[in-house]
Amino acid sequence: MLSHPLWRLVRQFSNVIIAMGAVLAVLVVAGAGFGAVPAVGRVLDPGHGAWMAAAGGQLPTSQSLRLPGLTSKVTVSFDRQGIATIDAANEGDALLAEGYLHASFRLTQMDLERRLAEGRLAALVGKSAVASDEFELRLGLLRTARQEWAQLPRNSIAALELEAYSRGVNDYLAQVRKTKQWPALFAMTGVYPGNWTPVDSLAVQGDLTQELDYTTTPLDYAVLARSLGLTKTMAWFPVLPVNRQNPYDLGPYKYKGIAPIATSLTATAAVSGANPGPKRSSALTAGLTGASRPRVPSARLAKAAAAMLAVTSALPEGQVHGYPDSNAWVANGPKVLGGGAMLAGDPHLPQTLPSIWYQVAITAPGYDVTGVSVPGLPGILLGHNRHIAWSLTDTENQATLFYVEKTSAARPHEYFWRGRWRPMRQFSYTIDVRGGQPRHLTVEETVHGPVMTQAGQTVSVDWMGAVPSPDIAVMQQVSTAHDFKQFRAALANWRAPTQNFVYADDRGNIGAISAGYYPIVAHGSPWLPMPGTGADDVAGVIPYASVPQSYDPAGHVIATANQRPVTSTYPYYIGTTANFYDPSYRASREYAFLDARSAMKVSSFAALQTSQVDDLAERVLPELLRLLKGAKLSPVEQQAVSLLHGWGYSMDQDSAAAGLWWTLWSDYLTDTFSPWWTSAQVPVHLDRAGLAISPDQFSLDQVLEHWTLTDRRNPAFTPPGAPAQGAASVLRDALAQAVASLHAKLGGDPPSWDWGKLHTRSFPSILGAAGLGYGPKAAGGDLWTVDAAYGMPDSTSGPSWRMIVRWQGSGGRGRATAVGIYPGGQSENPASPWYENLVPDWWDDTYLPLPAAGASPAGALRWELVP
Amino acid sequence: MTKPVSRSELSRLGKRGSYRLGLLAPQGIAAAPPPKAFRPSFARERRAGSTTGWVLAMGAGIALVAVAAVAGLWFVPLIVGVITGLAARWGAWRLRATAPAVIVMCAAGWGAALCWYSARGLPIGASARAMAAIAGLPAYAAVAVAITLAVSVVLGLVGLWLGRALTPRPPR
Repeated sequence: MLSHPLWRLVRQFSNVIIAMGAVLAVLVVAGAGFGAVPAVGRVLDPGHGAWMAAAGGQLPTSQSLRLPGLTSKVTVSFDRQGIATIDAANEGDALLAEGYLHASFRLTQMDLERRLAEGRLAALVGKSAVASDEFELRLGLLRTARQEWAQLPRNSIAALELEAYSRGVNDYLAQVRKTKQWPALFAMTGVYPGNWTPVDSLAVQGDLTQELDYTTTPLDYAVLARSLGLTKTMAWFPVLPVNRQNPYDLGPYKYKGIAPIATSLTATAAVSGANPGPKRSSALTAGLTGASRPRVPSARLAKAAAAMLAVTSALPEGQVHGYPDSNAWVANGPKVLGGGAMLAGDPHLPQTLPSIWYQVAITAPGYDVTGVSVPGLPGILLGHNRHIAWSLTDTENQATLFYVEKTSAARPHEYFWRGRWRPMRQFSYTIDVRGGQPRHLTVEETVHGPVMTQAGQTVSVDWMGAVPSPDIAVMQQVSTAHDFKQFRAALANWRAPTQNFVYADDRGNIGAISAGYYPIVAHGSPWLPMPGTGADDVAGVIPYASVPQSYDPAGHVIATANQRPVTSTYPYYIGTTANFYDPSYRASREYAFLDARSAMKVSSFAALQTSQVDDLAERVLPELLRLLKGAKLSPVEQQAVSLLHGWGYSMDQDSAAAGLWWTLWSDYLTDTFSPWWTSAQVPVHLDRAGLAISPDQFSLDQVLEHWTLTDRRNPAFTPPGAPAQGAASVLRDALAQAVASLHAKLGGDPPSWDWGKLHTRSFPSILGAAGLGYGPKAAGGDLWTVDAAYGMPDSTSGPSWRMIVRWQGSGGRGRATAVGIYPGGQSENPASPWYENLVPDWWDDTYLPLPAAGASPAGALRWELVP
Repeated sequence: MTKPVSRSELSRLGKRGSYRLGLLAPQGIAAAPPPKAFRPSFARERRAGSTTGWVLAMGAGIALVAVAAVAGLWFVPLIVGVITGLAARWGAWRLRATAPAVIVMCAAGWGAALCWYSARGLPIGASARAMAAIAGLPAYAAVAVAITLAVSVVLGLVGLWLGRALTPRPPR
């Protein structure tokens, strides 16, 4: 039968059909991809696929390039480290060249940033990003960016800057579309970036605002109040700090009512309050006294909070603000060698490869700046011009408020506000998913803002980042300011994210302004979700004249390190201790250092910037050791404790005392609070960052510090249902625990318990690709050191850029000499010698000179960009 | 062995007395050659071809795949496979000879293209490492290179399959 000719024919024919099917299948997969599988033939073709990304790994060569849109020749030079200097005949050309440079070296980063902000990440990376896209589309960065662009007059400097910058990016995109030398991510996914628009830049600006300003603290408060009870929650996460603080603005303060929130991008800021606003202390004291105590959130609200926390805690790191960010201080007069003013700034942000920063100097008539820029945005964010230098730290005020909307099943898509039912605005989106079906999303919006969940209850968010903010225009004015008056005037229009702008100028003046919107509610407890029926709405913001600020203080020093910028007598609510205000440990260290010295040099500021002295240890360790005196200790425990005697509180990586201190404090904190957490069944899993007991909970750190120093019999030291005990008893147990755990982890020899064996630092790739990051590497520092390290035991956030600017000279006008360094490199291409070439210098606390503002291109490697 | 016939003897053939010469060995019965060893086989007789031919053909295949890769013609390994499959029928070459040939041509072709770029100064190794990492694979250059070459080989082998299928074996 099988040898029958007909059967043979059938078999041969089948073989041809199957072979053709296989060929077709292979051709389809290799040429077009299938589902999430990329077109492997095209992708891996050595001549035109992802391999061509290797071209971007080569160092640039001197050449002449034609860029449409330029009006005259622009020279770009690169030094050996890849630091670029742009020399242009006008600002527009300079920013066009900057856009071209950013795209040349950071295209993947820029595209990821805009996709993240605009809810288009899943189209590139697949279904794993759908949750992020849904969240961002709900929150509305894209809506805000579009609104900002629509409101920006086309002949304004900011609009012209954005258009010039976009043209530069698109010039590069046109070039790479011809050469096919795409960054590997695009070639490998087959999803290529579209043209850049001003809205994209504004969306990237929104990303930064979100990272620095969007918090879920009220949701955490709701969950804590529901489980621990309101009294304990407000005692352990108080509105006002209970420990010693170092505000930079010591007052006197004036209550000037509240200013309205601007309704358009171009509205001039109200410097003084037009509205008398709520009584100054109503919102401040409501949580502290029994007088106007807020109600415990309902079970339905707790469910809604849980649903929102579940979403946000699953988002990529950085999408929700979670750590204090940055140091910046200034000194002048006798504090600086030779007089003049000196500024130091080191923003603490996720330390990634590539870095968030791209270093550049730009020279054009009337626009001479040097410092660090953000790929995706025109200009520079931190640096100096010919007359002033500035750096930023996050103010940490509460800028996110949640509202529980009154809804009815009988009235779908409506909410009750100020006495009547109103329709919700609706926005529809389609989320493209690479390798999957598109998802449809409808976002509803009330007067407060977008509805973030309808699980349990309908909750909307009123976030200051959703208010159109003319940040590009403000930064352009800051970049061209000549003195504090112009600097201060420019910042009057800054709305979000609220930032401490720290200032030093060529005449030896110093200052700081915490510019931005501080929402003030007329009634209620803004640290909890509030009723959305109207009474608790945001009534306005703190007038610009009343925001924290300081200028040429008598002490010749201003330091901002995310500490609460004002004292407890400040007449406005600006957030609680859980709002990521640093417990003033870094600020305390900075003031102690700066106040104790005079005639400081750049090296003095560098020493402080890289200081790993733990101020909390310095504050409480002597008391802890005193409490342990007389306690029965095992020989190993005695040996361990002896390490702490005489320790200088520096969290050096080779310090065993540092390792023991960290472990001891963590255990002391946990042993104090965890019985309460366990007893109250706090649902920590909902949001580990906001609910778990750890040294990351700055409220708990400062409360425990306070009790240890002044209230060692606080009832909190006694676990529920246990016999009364005090701090000494808890500490004794914590020491035993710490020694046992270190013994188990690092062996029985306490002098070998180096901090660097417990703590590392990494700079992960923004692509999340394990092999493209740097580290983990043993490192010093911790949450409270000036050289901060966030995320234990492997820190991935910290000083993302260190800069020191010194103004020196005679005749009233000084010249700036500046140094800086960031952990990374100018190129995002892992094959490039400029990918991580700056990391070793950063790691060794070495600084590199910044190209001078207004200087001609000096690097040997040059691009001549011609129209 | 038979004695060679001289031309002078041939010219005497058919003439009187010639038979007496008796030296015209072909007229007799030659010694039978030794029997061949019996090797039973149902396969048809095959031609292996010369080694030089094989080397030249493969060299050409490698060059074709490499040049096409540089030109962005990623599907050429498949065509080389098809051609090899068709030629295999013509040359009666076994699969165990043609498949390795296709594997070598495709892998070496794309490998040669990568080497060429590397020789021009492109950081191919570092890029390979990055590609592997981005794909979520162990961040070793060898991983990306191996997968790249494997794709070329797969293209070649399905082409070979198609080429062979298009030229059915004649019935025995």
